[in-house]
Amino acid sequence: MTALALAWQVLVAVALTPLLIGVMRQLRARLEGRAGAGVGQPWRDARKLLAKEPLAADGAGPLMAAAPLVLVVSSLVSVALVPLLGIATLAWVPDDLFVVVSVLLVGTVALALLGLESGTAFGGMGSSRHMMIAALVEPTVLVAVYALSVPVGTTALSAILQARMTDPATVVSPVSLLALVALTIVVLAETGRLPVDNPATHLELTMVHEAMVLESSGRDLGWLELGSWLRLTALLGLVVNLALPWGVAADLGVIATLVATVAFAAKLFLAGAIIAAAEVFLAKVRLFRVPELLAGSFVLAFLSVTASYLIV
Amino acid sequence: MTLTDLGLLGQPLLAVLAFAAAVAVTDQRRSAVAGTLNAALGLAIALTGIGALLGQPGTLTLGSPIPGIGLLSLAPDRLGGIFLIVVGLVGALSAWFGVGYAHGASATRAAWAAYPIFVWGMAIVPGAGDAVTFLLGWELMALGSTVLLLSEHASRPQVRSAVLWYAAMTHLSFVLLLAGFAVLVGHAGGASWAAIAAQPPTGASASLAFALLAGGFATKAGLVPVHVWLPRAHPEAPSHVSAPMSAAMVKLGVYGLLLLCTRLLPEGPHWWGIGLLLLGGASAVYGILQASVTSDLKRLLAYSTTENLGLMVTGLAVAMLLRTAGQRAVADVALVAVILLVVSHAAFKTVLFLGAGSILHATGERDLDRLGGLARLMPRTATATSIAALAAAALPISSGFVAEWVLLQSLVHGDTRGPGADRVIAIALPITVSLVALTAGLALLTFVKVVGIAFLARARSESAGAAHESPATMTVPLLVGAGLVVALGLVPGWVASGAAYAVGASGVEQVGLGGVALPAVTALLDPVALVLMAVALAVPVAVVTARAARRAPRRTVDLPWGCGGVRVDPMMQYTATSYAEPLVRVFDDALQPTRDLDVTHTTESRYLVRAVAFRQRMVDQVERGLYQPVLGVLEAVGDVGRRAQNGSIQRYLGFSFTALVVVLLVVTW
Amino acid sequence: MTESLFAQTVATATGLLMLTAVLQVWRRSTDASTKLLAIQGAALALLVGAIGLAEGHAELVLIAFVVLAFKAVALPWALARTIERSGIHREDSPAVNPVSGLLAAAGLATLAYAVSRPLVALDTGPAAHAVPAGLTLVLVGFLVLLTRHRAVSQVIGFLVIDNGIATVAFLTAGGVPLVVELGVLLDVVLVVFILRILSARLELAHGEVDLHDLRELHD
Repeated sequence: MTALALAWQVLVAVALTPLLIGVMRQLRARLEGRAGAGVGQPWRDARKLLAKEPLAADGAGPLMAAAPLVLVVSSLVSVALVPLLGIATLAWVPDDLFVVVSVLLVGTVALALLGLESGTAFGGMGSSRHMMIAALVEPTVLVAVYALSVPVGTTALSAILQARMTDPATVVSPVSLLALVALTIVVLAETGRLPVDNPATHLELTMVHEAMVLESSGRDLGWLELGSWLRLTALLGLVVNLALPWGVAADLGVIATLVATVAFAAKLFLAGAIIAAAEVFLAKVRLFRVPELLAGSFVLAFLSVTASYLIV
Repeated sequence: MTLTDLGLLGQPLLAVLAFAAAVAVTDQRRSAVAGTLNAALGLAIALTGIGALLGQPGTLTLGSPIPGIGLLSLAPDRLGGIFLIVVGLVGALSAWFGVGYAHGASATRAAWAAYPIFVWGMAIVPGAGDAVTFLLGWELMALGSTVLLLSEHASRPQVRSAVLWYAAMTHLSFVLLLAGFAVLVGHAGGASWAAIAAQPPTGASASLAFALLAGGFATKAGLVPVHVWLPRAHPEAPSHVSAPMSAAMVKLGVYGLLLLCTRLLPEGPHWWGIGLLLLGGASAVYGILQASVTSDLKRLLAYSTTENLGLMVTGLAVAMLLRTAGQRAVADVALVAVILLVVSHAAFKTVLFLGAGSILHATGERDLDRLGGLARLMPRTATATSIAALAAAALPISSGFVAEWVLLQSLVHGDTRGPGADRVIAIALPITVSLVALTAGLALLTFVKVVGIAFLARARSESAGAAHESPATMTVPLLVGAGLVVALGLVPGWVASGAAYAVGASGVEQVGLGGVALPAVTALLDPVALVLMAVALAVPVAVVTARAARRAPRRTVDLPWGCGGVRVDPMMQYTATSYAEPLVRVFDDALQPTRDLDVTHTTESRYLVRAVAFRQRMVDQVERGLYQPVLGVLEAVGDVGRRAQNGSIQRYLGFSFTALVVVLLVVTW
Repeated sequence: MTESLFAQTVATATGLLMLTAVLQVWRRSTDASTKLLAIQGAALALLVGAIGLAEGHAELVLIAFVVLAFKAVALPWALARTIERSGIHREDSPAVNPVSGLLAAAGLATLAYAVSRPLVALDTGPAAHAVPAGLTLVLVGFLVLLTRHRAVSQVIGFLVIDNGIATVAFLTAGGVPLVVELGVLLDVVLVVFILRILSARLELAHGEVDLHDLRELHD
């Protein structure tokens, strides 16, 4: 039964993800005075790419084909682990936040290795920057996890979420506020959004994520895009559920699940719209000012832990 | 006769046999015979360890060479058993690898004769039942490793400086241990662990003994700031020697600390734990930071050893602090994490050093900047080494991930809240979590760099392009080691429950098909289930890919993207140095690199550039700040000493005369 | 005002105070610092107002409005004017880089929490939780004073310290007597006034407002 619920969650996430990207792109286009390609464009792109042949440069190894699959599977596992719709989890695979973070890191590493495998200057450049950001994000993530786990005494996401559902007052405590702000910055950095990375850039020298996937095409690129988008859904979904724990299904009932699905879609699109609207006003920061941003988010997470000592 | 007895008896026999074979067998067959016998010695040690861990008693007593001190005795307990298994398996794999790897200077009579001394010395330390035997094993281990380290001194001048550093630091460690044990033994009136534990010193003398012993063990464990020998000795030793040095020998420093903190002096004041925590945290972050910006593969691995040992000591320190605060259950989890880190690091670091040896054997290079594209030329080495590297980066599903997960679980569950909570812990734990997290992040970058630069893309030098796969005697031990790394990651429950048994910890259980459950902190990790979940989710992805691949197969073109069609040269790839460059910039203040940039212009115009030369040098800042002043003082003292000795016989007679007068004066006082 | 709403308001205000303090170290733009100062003042006013409503002190509510008017509106406005006139919108040479500054702020916050533990243990009310936040503000304010050179940044640091003192005072003493608080406010206004005149003079004489130049006057 739980497995079925999780399968539904993965299905919903996969279905919503291209729409989320579409909404974000369309909103941004409209705010910038462009017509935009429509909300369904990412769906059409993904379908087209998945059907196309991949081109491999001479001498490229099997990693060019394997890394996209690893990325997409790691994203799928994290989508399944994070409580997006309900708090029911499999007994043997608890939604431990440390495990979720590590599973996402598998995807990060697959991307970084893909960038190096291409053997071009841009691939290495993107990979190096990507790993630097990933390395510096790690302290913030784990300290934020720590902050969230202190009040409930476990790192299991469902338990953290359940505590928030039963006692909404904890959501607005300084512990939670600071941790959420820190996590939001982490999500932006990890998914390559502004101000850390510009997903819409066409200039190789400023790229981080795009530089790594420059050599991939067709099916490979399709999986890479889908995998990266799913990461956004997983992380953003986690943050919105922590910030607004309403509507999350407390049991496995059909009605509760359907309500949770609708509520989740609404929250996700709202968060995506806020990010897209904010991106209109943001410029990408210089790469060497990204550590400042991450240090700032780390300090917020750290303060959140410090503050949590006193909330008994 | 128990398994432990049998193993203890077999060890000296096999060691003597291996020694004799190294001396007697001809040059052509020495590596094969001596390597095999040494591998057998390793297996005997591992069997002893299994016996000891299972709780089968066993003792071996040898006559003392020094009259009046009593008999030397080996009686491994459970904790020693774990370390015996680690030493034995690492020794066996490395010796096996040595069969194919050792040649020329590293396969001489002296080198192979020193190998069993080194390995058996490492087995005596955790097996010892008293301080004297312990120190004897410690010295045998130091002696054997020094001889092995010297083996390639003729071809590389750096070896000599490395040996000097190593010998000096090893002796520092020995002297500190001798003094520390002297305090303990003097107080207890007996040298056996049981006697010391029954009558531990208190107050200032306990603290003195702790400081001396911890200093000695930290030196062996290569912790900052006494890590300086490690990045010199590990790269210069032959790879089948650096592997046991890094994966087993330094671990005995951790064994010593565990022995000290859990058995000999379990009741210590707060500052012991805080001191160890500072030592461990600084080593972890400093070690991995240096590793992440290093391009020499073996030097990088040596720094990563400092990092891992730092994590282990951090775990131990947290366990001590939590125990002092009365949180025994969480402290037990931290202790289990220490053992898991020991086992996991032993497994992946052996494979990494042996893999580096295999690369060195095939290309003659250990500079990552000159490697590349080896995955195609050396697939078996690349596979094994990559698996180990991903474990070193603590990615699931690997041994490193499980160990780090348990460590983090123990860190976030220390109770820091409420009026009764310990203030020290409340400050220490979040800082420790941050340091461990930063370490984990940098380790990820470091090992992605190792795998990506060495094995992927294209060769950056001719020697790397002409590489060939190493013989089976080298690749099979590598693959076996990599298999162990994966097994430890997939079914960690067995090792975790063994570790819990070894340190007498409760609150660690095995669940499912070998998962770990920590009821004390309500956490569970079942890697097999996680893998099954991933496989289930991978099925639709695989189906879509397979269908699409049938319709639109992969096509090879010969042009990667070079900003509009420039042919891409291997020279244009990122190197290890350029890969770490953003990080060097971020940690500029801590690393203080020296950079030279020479731009040569063409003669026609100074706006046109003909060549750009860039050099970057990293100097260990701890070494520069701490050791160079000390060495300077020593040199100054040496100069004075040299001036005092001008060779004149009168002057020497004068010294003797002065000494005599001084002694007479002192006596009559 | 219900108990839980009171607790939430105090918590939110405390969180905002900490957040603005950290951001103060982070941002180098003086315009942003001024805005943060305004938010911090508003958070302080919220805190005071909440305590006043919860404990039924009418004068505290009144003080809350005064605090809001001065700290959230008047002072930031005056500062903004100064910045506008001096034309200095960036603190361009802080003594430590932002990352070190941020880490130092984290360390100071930890220190504040460790030090105020016994204080908090005495009082179990939700308001006690804001004491370490106030102490953090004081320490971070000092950090800003120590690491910045511009006169405007110095004023901002001073105001952060003042906010911190006010927070601690309101919480531990159950409200400072009106006269004292008004006196402090007056002091602050005076400081800003003097600095404005001073900076205007300096500008006339040297063209820039940097504390290093003041030291040169001494030399």
